[in-house]
Amino acid sequence: MTIFALILSILLAIIALAIGYAQAGVDNYSLWFLLLAAVWLIAHFRKWYWFSSIALLITIIAAAFGVWNGFPTIWMLLGALGGLLGWDLSDFARRLSYAAPMDDTRGMERLHMERVGIVAALGFGLAILSLFVRIHRLAFEVAVGLILLATLGLTRLVIGLRKY
Amino acid sequence: MSRSVLLGLLTYGLLLTGIATVKGEFIALALPLVTYLIIGYLQAPEKIKLEATRHLSVERTSPNSNVDVTVTVTNRGSSLEEILLADVLPAGLTVRSVPAAPVRTNRHLLRLAKGESYTFGYTVSGPRGGYVFDALELKVNDHLAVSSSKVRVEMKGRLFVLPPVTRVRNIAIRPRRTRVYAGTIPARAGGAGTDFFGVRDYQPGDPPSAINWRASARHIDKLYANEFQQERVADVGIVLDGRLRTNEFARGHSLFEYSVQAAASLADALLNQGNRVGLLVYASYLAWTLPGYGKIQRERILHALANAKTGGSQVFSDLEHLPTRLFPPESQIILISPLSEDDFAPLIQLRAEGYEVMVISPNPVKFELSYLPANEIVGLAGRVIRMERALLLQKMGRAGIHVLDWDVVEPFDLFVKRRLGRSPVWLRAIER
Repeated sequence: MTIFALILSILLAIIALAIGYAQAGVDNYSLWFLLLAAVWLIAHFRKWYWFSSIALLITIIAAAFGVWNGFPTIWMLLGALGGLLGWDLSDFARRLSYAAPMDDTRGMERLHMERVGIVAALGFGLAILSLFVRIHRLAFEVAVGLILLATLGLTRLVIGLRKY
Repeated sequence: MSRSVLLGLLTYGLLLTGIATVKGEFIALALPLVTYLIIGYLQAPEKIKLEATRHLSVERTSPNSNVDVTVTVTNRGSSLEEILLADVLPAGLTVRSVPAAPVRTNRHLLRLAKGESYTFGYTVSGPRGGYVFDALELKVNDHLAVSSSKVRVEMKGRLFVLPPVTRVRNIAIRPRRTRVYAGTIPARAGGAGTDFFGVRDYQPGDPPSAINWRASARHIDKLYANEFQQERVADVGIVLDGRLRTNEFARGHSLFEYSVQAAASLADALLNQGNRVGLLVYASYLAWTLPGYGKIQRERILHALANAKTGGSQVFSDLEHLPTRLFPPESQIILISPLSEDDFAPLIQLRAEGYEVMVISPNPVKFELSYLPANEIVGLAGRVIRMERALLLQKMGRAGIHVLDWDVVEPFDLFVKRRLGRSPVWLRAIER
């Protein structure tokens, strides 16, 4: 189940990015995206799980590049989301490989799919919403709240980075 | 790099780019990542409190026998969505799959609700050795594996894989000095016993059956009585040579396991005869098991032998540093060693100090030739080394050291029976 979902996610990322780029008239990147998909799948089946992080990085950078150049945002968003799902499922498959044959992997897979699906839907929904919501004036309290949230996030990031 | 750090960096990159370029689309791109991170952190377990117990089906076993390990993990904290657990195996033990049974491993992936327990089992086996089970390692993740904690649950366990003990009976040793308790070792003193020792004057109180009528008939005014050799227990020190240079050969072949097996069988037999036995493993350091009697001493010696390893040390590269003071004076010392040329002088020194020395020497020449290709060069080299060894053993024999050259192809019990066997009392009585 996980492998099937992983392949679908990678295809979603690649096809969305390729369509987005093609719609903007940049066709020559499609081949590179296909190559990325192929390498990602090969890396997964050869247990080079570290490659999924690089693949996520590439898809996010490709989506950001598309956004920067004014390519259709919806496809870029789907591309980034596909990359995120592929990265998550690749790591989940790695964790599943630790399971013993008698472990309830089916149940864990089903639960993970449900939760990742909810996260993806929520993230995508919020992103779509953000594309249509335009805030012309931000209240001071909201701005302060956002700054505090950003500071908190930054602190956690720094704490995380200090471990390395 | 952890997953949360990678996602955090990407998120901040997108947000900062969005702010810098005043493009809301970048923020939109970052939102799925932010959602993923936030939900991951919200689902992180609040309190990790795990307890575990491990049960071994046996605590002492023989080499390569299967031992069932059962581990139970109980979650005393909050619900845990994903736990990767591995029962850390001591080096040397391997997980075995049992034919016609589901594959059982020491690694599992599971969920544990609050208060729930999970029990799993697996089978291990390994070569001779003392193994210490240390801890259960767990990695607890939220369901997106954004936050992850490593937990070690300490639960000690010990498994002794003891060397195989072949039953050896009636080992004939003749130390100069024996102890006061009755045993099976001839004590070189007259008294109650079974073997004829000499004739002495008849004394009141001697049983009539002890009168030597033939000797008495020669003297009109005197009676003579037979005297028998007392049989007592003795002090025996077993020295196991664990030097790398005498035990290890090319291509990973080793004689040490044979030596350990011999030491275990000898210790068992000598303790069964009621003797006081000590063990010294002479390797990279001196591992000394104090002399003692009985079953507890047998366990001590077997545990010491389970942990015995070969070792290369400059100090103990020859037998010069054999600590003779550990052994009672004039006791029996049994050295189990493949021997090298320079072991002659220290062994002569032991003899000079009054010890009765016996050497059981697993034959390294025959052992090495058994796996080397049979060609002219190997054959010639074999002849030379064989002659050198024969000369060394001959010299030792002349010096009063009892040397037993053991071809390890022959089972140790049969070898001992042939070379050291002592007929039982009833048979000796018939022979007389």
